[in-house]
Amino acid sequence: MTSTLDVGASGGTTVEPEPVHGRQIALVDLLDRLLGVGVVLAGDVVISLAGVDLVQVRLHALISTIRSDMVEPR
Amino acid sequence: MTESGRYLYAIARGLDPSVLAGVPALAGGRLEVVEHRGLEAVVSTVDLEEYGEDGLRRNLEDLAWLEEVARGHDTVVQAVATHAPAAPLRLATICLDDDGVRERLDSSHDALEEVLDRVEGRREWSVKVFARPRPAPQQAVPQPTTGGGAAYLQRKKAESQAREADESSAAVVADEVHERLAVRSVAGRRLAPQDPRLTGRSETMLHNGAYLVEVDEGDAFAALVDELASAHPEVTVECHGPWPPYSFATLEQQ
Repeated sequence: MTSTLDVGASGGTTVEPEPVHGRQIALVDLLDRLLGVGVVLAGDVVISLAGVDLVQVRLHALISTIRSDMVEPR
Repeated sequence: MTESGRYLYAIARGLDPSVLAGVPALAGGRLEVVEHRGLEAVVSTVDLEEYGEDGLRRNLEDLAWLEEVARGHDTVVQAVATHAPAAPLRLATICLDDDGVRERLDSSHDALEEVLDRVEGRREWSVKVFARPRPAPQQAVPQPTTGGGAAYLQRKKAESQAREADESSAAVVADEVHERLAVRSVAGRRLAPQDPRLTGRSETMLHNGAYLVEVDEGDAFAALVDELASAHPEVTVECHGPWPPYSFATLEQQ
């Protein structure tokens, strides 16, 4: 299961424009934007994204991964 | 019986719906365009079991779900933004039906037009500045021959002061990088630096910048980032893009 928010394919010190067809945005950057900035139109389903704490979400995911690892070797 | 809703990905202007053929929608759905007063909302049908208030509250805590939806949302936004000026919506913007979608296009019409004017022909670039990890202390501070507690504390204090000095000078560099890039772009903003527990990196993120750049200025912008990175080897500068204008699609009036 995925439990890391990858920082991007490359971690170089300089500019690394991504290939034209592979402009995949690192998940952490994408969530920064999709949860934090961007057009807010109040839909009919009302939910506060401001309450989504990514650090907590990630820690939960890590913990559940560790737990399932601990449970498996029975 | 399960109810369904309309998930909104982006608002565009002058979008030919046929360009969306073959672009996958969330939850195995099909992308559709709801048009109103010269604006197009790109939508697909989702199940409210999963995307209703209760479902979202539960699912937003699940990183695997969040990743799948964020990636799916981004795939659609990228496809739309390639063909028309597009204002990406926040994750999980959901209306009950197409009338609800039209209502939003109507009530925010002018503000949406303004956003589309602002982002048309432009892309977002991300530039981050990280503090370089301090090299392991060499013999700068004389090693005490006798490992006295006071000497140890003194050494620790000196190390900590040196690290603080490094970080504060790196913060000045980050400010300078931001200023130079902001001048070179249509707009620039500083997002909150990301938590190391999210980036998985030990270096402190000093700057998490987003810049709105004309499509044909992208190479020049990237070259400037490169130049700034070379001029400041004391920090790590990372640049990614071009992306859809996620950070610049904010409505001025609500």
